[in-house]
Amino acid sequence: MRGAGLRLRSAGAWRVLLRPGDWAVALAGLAVCAASGLWLWRGGEADGVIVRAAGKVFAQASLSHPRRIDVPGPLGMTVIEIEPGRARVASDPGPRQYCVRQGWLARAGAVAICAPNEVSLTLTGRGADYDSLNY
Amino acid sequence: MRAVGAAFALLLCCGAWLFAGCDRERVFQREGYVFGTRVDVSVYADDPKLADAAIADVLREFDRLHNAYHAWKPSELTALNEALASGQSFEASPELAEMLRDAQRLFEIGAGLFDPSVGAAVELWGFHSDAFEPARPDPEALAALKAAPPRVNDVVIENGRVSSRNPAVKIDLGGYAKGYALDRAAALLKGRGIQNALINVGGNIMALGSKGGQPWRVGIQHPRQSGVLATMPLYDGEAIGTSGDYQRYFELDGVRYAHLLDPRTLEPSHGTQALTVLVGNRPRGGVLSDVASKPAYLAGEGWREQTRHFGIEHALRVAGDGRVEVTRALRARLAFSEPVKASVVD
Repeated sequence: MRGAGLRLRSAGAWRVLLRPGDWAVALAGLAVCAASGLWLWRGGEADGVIVRAAGKVFAQASLSHPRRIDVPGPLGMTVIEIEPGRARVASDPGPRQYCVRQGWLARAGAVAICAPNEVSLTLTGRGADYDSLNY
Repeated sequence: MRAVGAAFALLLCCGAWLFAGCDRERVFQREGYVFGTRVDVSVYADDPKLADAAIADVLREFDRLHNAYHAWKPSELTALNEALASGQSFEASPELAEMLRDAQRLFEIGAGLFDPSVGAAVELWGFHSDAFEPARPDPEALAALKAAPPRVNDVVIENGRVSSRNPAVKIDLGGYAKGYALDRAAALLKGRGIQNALINVGGNIMALGSKGGQPWRVGIQHPRQSGVLATMPLYDGEAIGTSGDYQRYFELDGVRYAHLLDPRTLEPSHGTQALTVLVGNRPRGGVLSDVASKPAYLAGEGWREQTRHFGIEHALRVAGDGRVEVTRALRARLAFSEPVKASVVD
């Protein structure tokens, strides 16, 4: 503050510089921070799915509306079911059914793999906190 | 001047925000199906053409390995196994001969708990098949095999000719090839000038470089839930592998039979749900990430000793009853998804 021509004598004296409108601006700023935190962070929540068949993207969909996706593969049809906020492999022609038994997936980054029919279901989202899954 | 400064700062902020968004755009990913599982390769690069060409190279290499070392569809490996079963010797490719020598070395390090010669038992247990029938093996056939148990050091390799002192030896590279594929992929990508990539071969993962300066992150699958147990960064050259009872198994009369057989008993083991090892940046790190989890998985409560044999300090075990045990070094890296009471071991 050198050269500003003003010296603040006690620790709380800066408050005299604030006008009522300034408080309103500061409060509004805090509110925006809190709101964007809630809006954007949503830790790990999924917002969409990517369905791949034989390694290529077959469908991309949002998790906001219920939907059924039939995905053809070498063994037959894998059926993906989407509900608001979650998705699952509803049925698959593979022999071991591991991807069906995984049930509903809801977190960004979660994957169900129906290897025999070469179909994968991946949940996407801003909060995905990993790039690949070790199993 | 202040206004200009503020405008400049604002512009910088927006730029940083935009670039943060761009990061995801610069990750190029493709997946494929080999070794009966999914592979996926992510490359972080500026040039999409370079990334695509490099990934295509890697997927072609995976196809080659799949075709050369398939355990039950006609391949160089099935030809070798037919020769060994009939007491003949076999002229192996230099690559296969080297893999077998490496497997013998790893068999010794793992005190016999890593043994790729038990293919006949894996077949008897029904895991060598595209079909699926939950059943225990024919007791007589299994007893006959146990009477003359195959060991990978029954295999003799001389000048590229491979023979076996025990005709029951049937090589199955199921616990080796995925890791080998990681090492091959890393070499191919580097040869193509790719510095930053994440390679996943059926759950075994290796990282190269980073993702725009941020480390790659991997999730470790929970063995009994659909989500992840924990996440962690994976740094340049590191590889992670898990042996578990939840990927290939069948249930019969309430008992879970997993595909990993104990070479000592030729039976599935039951004490562990999942055993994860993290291998640092070292030569053949991919192979080690695949191989070193097997003996520790099979060793039950003796898992920590087994990981030490391989010089591994980062390991995690989910025991048969769901208890989580983790080494001190790995604990420091893990972020558990839900509060977990993990006991830390040295």
